[in-house]
Formats: sequence, structure tokens, C-alpha cells
Amino acid sequence: MRKRIFQIILVILITVFCLAGVSSAAEFWLRAGTFIKTMPDGVQVPMWGFARCTANFASCNPLRVPGPPLIVPPGENTLVIHVRNNLAGPYTEPVSLVIPGQAMPTDGTASSPAPVKVPDENGNLRVRSLVHETAVGSDGVYVWNALKSGTYLYQSGTHQAVQIQMGLYGPLKMDAAPGRAYTGVPFDREVMLFFSEIDPALHTAVVTNNYGPGKAMTSTMYYEPKYFLINGEPYSSATSAIPAGSAGQRVLIRFLNAGLESHVPILDRHYMSVLAEDGNVFEHPKEQYAPLLAAGKTLDAMITPKAQGTYAVYDRMLSLTNAAASPGGMLAHLRIASAPAGAASHGQR
Amino acid sequence: MRSIMMQRFRWFPVMAVLLLLGASPALAAIQGVTGTTFNLTAKADHISTPDGGSIHMWGYALNNGRMQYPGPTLILNQGDTISITLTNNLPPGAGNVSILAPGQSGGTATGGVQGLITREAPPGGSVTYNFVAAEPGTYAYYSGTRPELQVEMGLIGTIIVRPAGFNEASNKTAYGHPETRYDDEFLFLLSEMDPNIHELVEAGLMNMVDNTKYFPVYWFINGRAAPDTMLDANVSFLPTQPYNCLPMTRPGGRLLMRIVNASRDLHPYHTHGNHHKVIAFDGRLLESAPGAGPDLAVADFTTSVPPGGTADGVFQWYAKAGWDIYGTDNGHDCVDGNGDDLDDSTYEYCPDHGKPFPVDLPHKNDTTFGAFWGGGPFLGTAEPLPPGEGGFNPNGAYFFMWHSHSEKELTNFDIFPGGMLTMMFVEPPSPPLINP
Repeated sequence: MRKRIFQIILVILITVFCLAGVSSAAEFWLRAGTFIKTMPDGVQVPMWGFARCTANFASCNPLRVPGPPLIVPPGENTLVIHVRNNLAGPYTEPVSLVIPGQAMPTDGTASSPAPVKVPDENGNLRVRSLVHETAVGSDGVYVWNALKSGTYLYQSGTHQAVQIQMGLYGPLKMDAAPGRAYTGVPFDREVMLFFSEIDPALHTAVVTNNYGPGKAMTSTMYYEPKYFLINGEPYSSATSAIPAGSAGQRVLIRFLNAGLESHVPILDRHYMSVLAEDGNVFEHPKEQYAPLLAAGKTLDAMITPKAQGTYAVYDRMLSLTNAAASPGGMLAHLRIASAPAGAASHGQR
Repeated sequence: MRSIMMQRFRWFPVMAVLLLLGASPALAAIQGVTGTTFNLTAKADHISTPDGGSIHMWGYALNNGRMQYPGPTLILNQGDTISITLTNNLPPGAGNVSILAPGQSGGTATGGVQGLITREAPPGGSVTYNFVAAEPGTYAYYSGTRPELQVEMGLIGTIIVRPAGFNEASNKTAYGHPETRYDDEFLFLLSEMDPNIHELVEAGLMNMVDNTKYFPVYWFINGRAAPDTMLDANVSFLPTQPYNCLPMTRPGGRLLMRIVNASRDLHPYHTHGNHHKVIAFDGRLLESAPGAGPDLAVADFTTSVPPGGTADGVFQWYAKAGWDIYGTDNGHDCVDGNGDDLDDSTYEYCPDHGKPFPVDLPHKNDTTFGAFWGGGPFLGTAEPLPPGEGGFNPNGAYFFMWHSHSEKELTNFDIFPGGMLTMMFVEPPSPPLINP
């Protein structure tokens, strides 16, 4: 009898340990491909971008820039992203994925990340990719363990000088708990403002195989962006205001900058409580109206709007044209609704 | 350029002497206008660059006076309700104009027409902005109409809000908290310029301006490029650039730096001589809790303020020079009652008291003098110099360059020195220990 009880306990223990060991994983399928993006002035820019696909790439949404938001449920420990490289010629490259602020991914079997090195003209090995690559026409898998909560960019880890600029980037977030961006940071609503830039001359050179040593455009040295995007679009008369909660609510703004230049987002008539950068929460939030959103960076900021209205958010580094045409660029509007009757206000410092 | 520089500098020693003759120990004050109701007019004019250039500008004028670059510094009192009426007298074709005061939360705009960011004054018309100066601090203001063009053209300025209880004579603080007290305050409004844009606008070719090809070649502090930064304020030959930037302090004094980045680039502003403690960004103290004071202040030698934003820094100078900065032959004491190794009134570093100057200075016949050389290596030394030498340093002050550390910004259209640069004087204690 005593032996039987012991066996039951053992079975229970093994079951518990097995469940713990097979903790759930967030799993996404992204297709990288080539597409044409039309600017407000009619200019057509060749882009590389990501599309969200269903499991095993059964079906895919259209390609987009920035790539589809990847929302990892709170508490996940492991992230698996499958990448299908469908870049189309005449010029293509292998691609990969990294998430600055998280550990380097592996392919799920290797014990450590595997940078890819290629010989230059002198035979010296140079790093082309920070992690293992996915060749054109094939699928790859990228696995992160010990995920950290926060707001992050995902982007290609291969030939980054070109591939990030070409559009292989997107946002990823994981909340610490439902309704809490970080421990001790509750919010009612959230808005994402994703900044990036496009230099059409660079894009054309890359896709037509005129980019690189000895070719028409040798490097990104003379990078000169003409279009400045918030959430993938430069401002135009067709831009509509972004709903951003209502007066009295705690509205979390997630700022991301995949551009090669820094920007300074100012929300008219509001201070922001900047509470985290690069997925790291501050011990003391900073009250600012002009935070620096450096290239490659993410910032999380909280506002508690006092009054309903439509408020402009603009880049104070003044990237406010579409090529030479004004207005344009990094200008958007947040629409704050009036406070619902009887709603509790969280006030504002 | 050299002759221009010398000509302009001839005023400077007169000014410095006048400052020291005054009974008040204050070394300078930030120029500006006070009140609760302001009338500004946007209009065009020209400014001068130290290399002889004359640049077409748009700017804010006080009432219907002359346009100035930057616009009038508005000095407000905490809690006051402020009304600013802007009238648009820009040249035909310039379009609307407006004012954003990004540090003033809330607020309303009335009149004019609705723009993309705020209400705007149409050509010949006006618009009124109202807000409460709720919190003390340093803030920017600038045009919110086609800002990539109008900010560049010169429609920029500073708002300073004095804390409740502020008193120029007896209670000078930046934010009310005693840890934000200061002896002297100076404005550092940073800006830059691509003259091609101004030439196109002046020629009526505004539509040829390409914002994506922006390439500045002039850099300014308070609307002047060096060496004009060091001229007196309101000199007659710079009628549209009334503000100077000549920071001065005494050993141990608290110099409040109000840095405003009115431009579109980062300018890492660097203080030689010692670090400064950054106590606030964008008019908000770096504090762990309301009322705590600047307990999260950081000590920096270089501060980059994001465009449109501001920072306040407290700079204090004291020497660990390796020699007795007040000389060894005049019988002064070094009294350190509080154990900080510094004299309690002169801020001499007592471990260096009585140490001789470590090198033998060459004879005057073997020396080439700089204009800032006062005649000796000791603070307050103003020894005789050969005729025509020195002259910019009548009190034997120590001099330190304060400048943007983006070194290319120390030029006027490719000519060094110039640009975003000035000199900070450490004047001897008052009264001076030497040559009283």
C-alpha cells in the first residue's frame, strides 16, 4: 500500500515537471518578400518587407512596412519565429531575424547563435549576418528563450546597413501582465508610433543590383532619406487621426525608431512620462515633452490626457516633408475622446 | 574677419570693467521681457554673421519693433495667466505663422485659422494664445506652421518661468527648491542655419527649398555666432541680434545654465573648467518625488538637449590647479571650516595653498600674448603688459571655452574659430584678493 502511494506521488511529480518543461511558446510565421510602396506624391519605391502568415505558411497577408506587430502573450518564455525568404530578383540576399534587447536567437538545435562570415576581396572573414541566415527560397527558424517583457524592434540581422533600410523591420511587444506593460506600469489604452525613413535612390540601387563595392552606389555613406514615416506612412491629406483613448485614461505610447536617423517626437500640449527605453523600465520616469528617439531605439511613455481633442505629434528634428513637398513626413494626430460619464480619472502630474 | 573681430572686441573691456564697478555682485542677467500680456509680430529682416554675411531672416518682434533672432525671451511668473497675440507681417507669399509653446501644457488658441498643429495667423491677421505658466523652468517657443522652414528662418525663442517666491535680490532659484538656487544665470539658446534656404526665400523661390537637403554651415548661441557671442548685448551694429552669451562666475559661485535647443540637430554642449549638474530637462526637475529637489541630477561635462527641448544645469568652478591660484606672495589665508578642502569664501583648494607656480614663465620679451592673457597665472592677476597686448581680461579672470563638441560647429561657413562657441570667465572673488 505504501509502495502504491509512492508510485502515485511519483507519477504526479513527473507530470508536473513535464508540464513545466514544456512551457508554452509563442510561434509566428513571417514571409520576407519584395513589393512596391507608393508614396503620397506618386513615387513608387521598391521595398523589402515582412508579411504575417498562418501556421506553416498556409496563407499570408500582404507584405508591409513596418512588418506586422508581433504580440507575445504575457508570461511566455520562448518565442519561435519561422521566416520564409521570398525576396524576388534581380537582386536578393539571405535574411535573418534579431531583436535588439533580447538574447541572440538560435535555430532551436544549436547551443549558441551562429554568425555568418564571408571572405572579403583580401580573403579576410567579415561578419555578414549576426545569426544564421535563411537563403532565398527556403525557410528558417529563429528561437529565443528567456524572453523579456517590453517594447522591441525586430529586424533583419543580415547585411543590416541595407536590409533594415529596405524595410525588414517591425514591432514586437510582450506585456508583463494583462494591462501592465511592465511590473508596476498599468495602462488603459495603448498607441504605437513607429518611425522609419526611406531613401528611394538606395532602394532602387539595391533591387537593381547597383549597390555595393564597385557599383553605382557603393555604400550608405550618402544616405539621404526623402520620406519620413509614422506607422509606415508619411503624412498626407489622406492621413486620419489615430484613436488614442479618452481623457483621464492612462494612455501608453510605444515609440519605435527603425530609421537610420534620430527623431524627437513632440505631442502638442502634453508632457510625457517616459518610463522605459529599449524594453528596460526606469526606476524613475522622466517628465519630458521632447524625448530623443534615437535610431534603433524604443521608448515607452505614458500620458494621461486632460481634455478631449485632436493633438498633433511631430518630429522636432523637422522631418516634415515628403521629398521637398510640405506638409508631409513625420506628422500624425492622436484623437482623444471625451471622458466617459462616471469614468474614474487617473489625473496627471 | 580678423579686423572685424578686433573692431568688435574693442567694446568688451569697457563692459567688463563697468560690470565690476557695480556694487551688486551679480555678473549679468538674462535679458528679456516680463509681463502677462505680450504682442509679437512676425516679420522679415536681416542678421549679420561674423564673416561679414547678411542673412535674410523671419523672426518674432516685440510689439511692432524690429524682428530679432531669437525672438524676445519671455520671462513669466509661475501661476500667471499669459496671453500672447501674434500678428503676421511676414512678406507676401510666406503664408501663415504661429507659436507653439511646448512646455506649457493645455492652453488655448483663438482667432486666426486652424493649421495642422495649432491655430495660425494668416497674412496680415493675428491669433492669440492663452496658457497658465503653471510650472517654473526653461522652455522653448517656435513656429508650428511649416516648422521645417519657419524654425530655420528664425521663428524661435525662450520662455522662462520664475518660481513662486522668486526674488531677484534675495531668493534666486530656478525651481523654488533651495538646491536650485543660483548666483548668476545665462541663456544658451542653440540654433543653426543653412544659408541656401534663406537665399531662396529672399529671392522669392520658397518652393525650391528642399528640406531633405538641409546642410547647415552656421551655428549660433542666442542668435549670434562666435566671436559675436562675446560682444555686449544690444550693440548698435547688431540691431536684430540683441542677445549675447558671456557667462561669468566667481570661484564657488553657482552659475545656472539655461540651455534651449531651438534647432533641429543635437549639439553636445561642453563646459570646460568643470562639470555641470543637469537638474532639469524640459522644465521638469530631475527628482525622485515631487518636492524632493534635484536628487536625480547628473554631473555632465557635455549635455545634448533634444531639439525643441531644454535643460538646466548648475555649474560651479573651483580649482585643483596644482598651484596656489591666488599667488604665494600676498599673505592670503586658506580657511577650510567645513572640511571640503576648499576655502570657505574664496574656494581656494587648501592642499595647494602656498604652492608656487610650477614653471618659470618666460620673460615678456620672449612671449607671444593672447588677447585674453591678463598678465599672470594667478586668479586676479592683472600685471602690466606691453603696449597693445591683452586687453580682454582686465581683472585677471580665468577663461574657459564653452562650446558645441560637434567640432565642425565651431566654424562660420568653414572658417575656424566661430560658430557655437563662447568663453566663460571665472572672475576673481569680490573683492579681489589681488589688485583690489
